[in-house]
Amino acid sequence: MPQPRRLVLCVDDETVGLQVRRMILERAGYKVLTAHDGPSGLDAFVEHPIDAVVLDYAMPGMDGGQVAAHMRAKKPQVPILLLSAYMTLPPDVTRHVDIYMTKGEGAPMLLQKLNGLFPGQTH
Amino acid sequence: MNLRQLNRILLQTLLVPVVALFFVAGVLALQIRKAELTVAHMQAAGDNISTATRVAQLTVNEDNGIRGFQLTSNDIFLQPYRNAQLPLQRGLAQLREGIAKQGGDPHMVDDLVLAHDTWRIAFAEPIIQSTINGTDTRDTGLNLRAKAQMDQVISVIARIITAEQRQRAEDVRTWRRQVRQTLQILVVLAVFIGLAIGISARNRLHRVSDAFQGTLEEVRHNAQLTYDSEQRLRTMLTSIGEGIIVCDIQGKVELLNTVAEQLTGWSLADALHEPVDKIFHLVNESTREDLEAPAASFPQLPLPARSPGHDSLANHPILIRRDGTEIPINESEAPITDRSGKLAGVVIVFRDITEQRRAQTTLLATEKLAVAGRLAATLAHEIHNPLDAVINLLYLMRSNPTAAETEQFLDLASKELDRVAQISRAMLGMYRESKEPVAVDIEEMLTSILLLLDRQMRQAQVRLRAEFAPGAVVIGYPAELRQVFINLLTNAADASGVDGLIELKTEICAERRRNSRSPEIEPRPAGVSITITDQGEGIDAQTLPKLFQPFFTTKGEHGTGLGLWVSQGIVQKHNGTITIKSSTASESHGTTVTVFLPRGEAVFA
Repeated sequence: MPQPRRLVLCVDDETVGLQVRRMILERAGYKVLTAHDGPSGLDAFVEHPIDAVVLDYAMPGMDGGQVAAHMRAKKPQVPILLLSAYMTLPPDVTRHVDIYMTKGEGAPMLLQKLNGLFPGQTH
Repeated sequence: MNLRQLNRILLQTLLVPVVALFFVAGVLALQIRKAELTVAHMQAAGDNISTATRVAQLTVNEDNGIRGFQLTSNDIFLQPYRNAQLPLQRGLAQLREGIAKQGGDPHMVDDLVLAHDTWRIAFAEPIIQSTINGTDTRDTGLNLRAKAQMDQVISVIARIITAEQRQRAEDVRTWRRQVRQTLQILVVLAVFIGLAIGISARNRLHRVSDAFQGTLEEVRHNAQLTYDSEQRLRTMLTSIGEGIIVCDIQGKVELLNTVAEQLTGWSLADALHEPVDKIFHLVNESTREDLEAPAASFPQLPLPARSPGHDSLANHPILIRRDGTEIPINESEAPITDRSGKLAGVVIVFRDITEQRRAQTTLLATEKLAVAGRLAATLAHEIHNPLDAVINLLYLMRSNPTAAETEQFLDLASKELDRVAQISRAMLGMYRESKEPVAVDIEEMLTSILLLLDRQMRQAQVRLRAEFAPGAVVIGYPAELRQVFINLLTNAADASGVDGLIELKTEICAERRRNSRSPEIEPRPAGVSITITDQGEGIDAQTLPKLFQPFFTTKGEHGTGLGLWVSQGIVQKHNGTITIKSSTASESHGTTVTVFLPRGEAVFA
């Protein structure tokens, strides 16, 4: 039975990075929504039935940690993957997300970790 | 003792003998007067004796005349008798007067007159009458009586003469006594006055001598004090940690302290009276030109006291030592004036700032590292993001893309790599040390700095508006100038709130000459002014003056407190200026930093 495609929300202020990440996720079978900053990401998160969030940490205005906290407050069940160029992040940032990874680890790792957010299901 | 007291004593010392001599002269005059009286007395006695003798002679003449007439009855013989009458009367009167004046006994003269009158009336006149009458007068009795009467006269005269002689002898004795007495008085007075003058002079001279001794002591004491004070000053001068050279008005060295000897390599003995610019040879650190020796500005007054700011990073003079080695120094000069305010020499104070230099270099390196460190985190992000995109694009290209997709992926990857390259170039520009100043394109430099700061600005949500005057070029050290503007722009970003605006503007400035109409305008060479304005809270008036002090920061642990200090040093090294204006007013708060860099040899395009 064909599984309905999962809807992933990508938030990143890096235009090219966001565009490339979208293509990778779409090729892997996800439906992708994109947002360029925290506030518009939150809007999309509320409006659409998002299955998972791939969130960039370093963004002007509202950083990934703040965005994750708001999302957790709205829909705590939605898994969040936090991407960062930094190697380590403070615990008050990471406690609102399910998993975090460093940018540059490559697409396979991203896909694997994202997939791991949906327990008991293989994709 | 002052001069007036000394003069009084000298006058007293002179007056005492003079007064004493007057006194002696007075006493002497009195004694002589007394002696003169005695001599006059003596003369009077002599006169009386001769008068009495003359009277006796006249009496004898009378008697002889009477006897001759008695014998011859010739009138001629009676002549002596008659002639004697008048002088005899006069002589007797004279004698009476003389004896009375002398205080003698006038009765004797009365006796004489009586005896003579007796003889004349009782004998002489009758005899004359009798002889004329032809009467015989050879009566023995009569003649014997006459003889007795005449003897009586002669005896009275003899008595008078004897009395007068006695008197004269008495006067002579008196005179001798008086002379003796005068001599005695003189001797006594001489001894007494001599002693008095001696004692008084001794007393006075003692006082003078005491005062002189006191003055001498004082002078000796003062000399000792002066010597001690000079020794103390000399010791201070020698032990002081800075080099000190004193030179006279001709610019000849008068003194070098120990530190100056060590720093210049000249000993005081060798340097003494040498021209100061030979001993203290200074050159400009960067141009290597000889610096004007301090004495060269003689004899102008007032001599401007030269003292460069101690914390300044700007050019310092280099001291060329005797052996040719070089030391960077910090130096100041001050004129020495004499009491009338005339220039008497110059004192130069200087110190070796090699250690300070080393410390400054360390601080500069630290600050550079701090700037780089602050940038590093955002820069890693800036590099990491495009790299991530490129990695992902490579992944996509491995999964059988279409030709159009391949084209798109390559294009994107190339753009992203360009970005990385740009950032790494900008980063490298920070470290591109250049020994010689080169032409720096201000726009290019600022653009690459903005690229480095882009993420930081975006994260802080600060907007930036840049306006570049085309062709702004200066001669300078690019890495150092980059550091200055990274510093200033970071400060502006830190000061700005969310959505704050930073305006960056460059302007080409023409040369500004001295204008007599508006002397408040400082002359300035042609150059570029770079203005950075933020809309932050502004800096209060108390903080403003401290901004360029090293280790002063308003950013707590996030700042080194070296940024503006280093920036100022770099700008000054470029012969430029950096000024900060700020307002904390509620409607127009914000800070404007203006950096002016002279064009130098650069040509504006």
